[in-house]
Amino acid sequence: MVSNSRIPRVGIGGPVGSGKTMLIEQIVPILSSRGYLVGIISNDVVSREDAERMRRNLATEKGLMSEDLVIGLATGGCPHTAVREDPSMNISVVEEMESKHNELDLIIIESGGDNITTTFSPALADYFIYIIDVTGGDKYPRKRGLGIENCDLLVINKIDIAQYVGADLTIMERDAKIVRGAKPYVFVNCKTGQGVKDVTEHIIRDVLFESAPKAVVK
Amino acid sequence: MSIDKLSIEQISALQLSDSFFPTGMYTTSNGLEALFYKKQRKLYSPNELLEMIKVYLECQIGPADCTALGNSYDCAKRKDVGALVEIDRMIFSMKLIRDIREASARSGSQLIRCLVSFITDNDVLNNFNDMIKTGGATGVYPVAFAIACNALEISKNTAGLAMLYSFTVSMVGAALRLGMLQHYDGQRIIHELKPDISEIVEKCIERPLSSMWQFAPGIDIIQVKHERMNSKMFIT
Repeated sequence: MVSNSRIPRVGIGGPVGSGKTMLIEQIVPILSSRGYLVGIISNDVVSREDAERMRRNLATEKGLMSEDLVIGLATGGCPHTAVREDPSMNISVVEEMESKHNELDLIIIESGGDNITTTFSPALADYFIYIIDVTGGDKYPRKRGLGIENCDLLVINKIDIAQYVGADLTIMERDAKIVRGAKPYVFVNCKTGQGVKDVTEHIIRDVLFESAPKAVVK
Repeated sequence: MSIDKLSIEQISALQLSDSFFPTGMYTTSNGLEALFYKKQRKLYSPNELLEMIKVYLECQIGPADCTALGNSYDCAKRKDVGALVEIDRMIFSMKLIRDIREASARSGSQLIRCLVSFITDNDVLNNFNDMIKTGGATGVYPVAFAIACNALEISKNTAGLAMLYSFTVSMVGAALRLGMLQHYDGQRIIHELKPDISEIVEKCIERPLSSMWQFAPGIDIIQVKHERMNSKMFIT
């Protein structure tokens, strides 16, 4: 039975290897420590590796959620389509999760996608985080694209290796401001967790509106 | 039928069978992907693929889905939601592979849900949508498609043609994305399957529900193998 109660949804998109999965693995423990229960849907073009890794790390080993709260979804080779033009399969899976686990405070939907065209359908996600990393060069924000320009929060990852790949963070910051105006951006290092707390605070403030976790309210 | 009414019926059929219509069918290859890997990524000849799609149509989609569609269409026309729920249960149970069953139900549910967003005064559509929401029906695709076509006043035969055409396009689309064939070959396959689609619809759409069948064990095995693949691009 489908519940009428819609659980807030955050879409996390970004190019392959930019750190989407690792960002989620950093965010969820922080949300969990604040009492929020999270479900994850991972769109993966060719494998279940990301979903299995998150299930193992976050559910099996850390016990932050039950294993059925991490679902891997194949997208028929069309990751953009699956979260934007025709998000039917994702919406179905999200709603199944909502109906079975209405105790959840948040659902995270992960999807790969390049910086040019990736956006999440508003019917699927209430808030859109786009993650890039410094290895594409400091030109990345300046080159714009739907993901970089339109996302609610831009996350720039792997700042620890910027110096080794010749990426100037001050240029990336300057261009992010020019391209995005007042919309926020955060520099992070998902390996160490640097900056991840800021990302989590954005979610708690802008998506959950600082409401108490459902478990606490009960 | 006036030319205006006929035109709108045809446009509605085009709308529902267009791959742009949001049902998520592009995420399924119906097991084709497993065959691709079984052959170690070697290209199939376009004719092999054509023959394979023909087997799907003749042994699964025609005698099972198309017959379910025909019967569902009649039920929708006489506003018999109870009978629609019964057909929904039957055709859902006949789909032996879990991923195929679930993908069909998800696509069908989303089809109905999309339609109720712009057709608000069709009782059958609304009631069946409520049945899906409350868990009384699965929303499996052929039943949902029949209800949608009835709501849009698309004729039963056109509904059958549109559903089999959509299936064929989704198979060819999956093959293209897997790199199994080239785009002109894909269009040739669709073109050459037109007489088969027409013949299968004619043969299956008026059959009684009791004669519904599907028997393609080779395809079932391929789909089971696909379901268990670790690395894959398609849901099914």
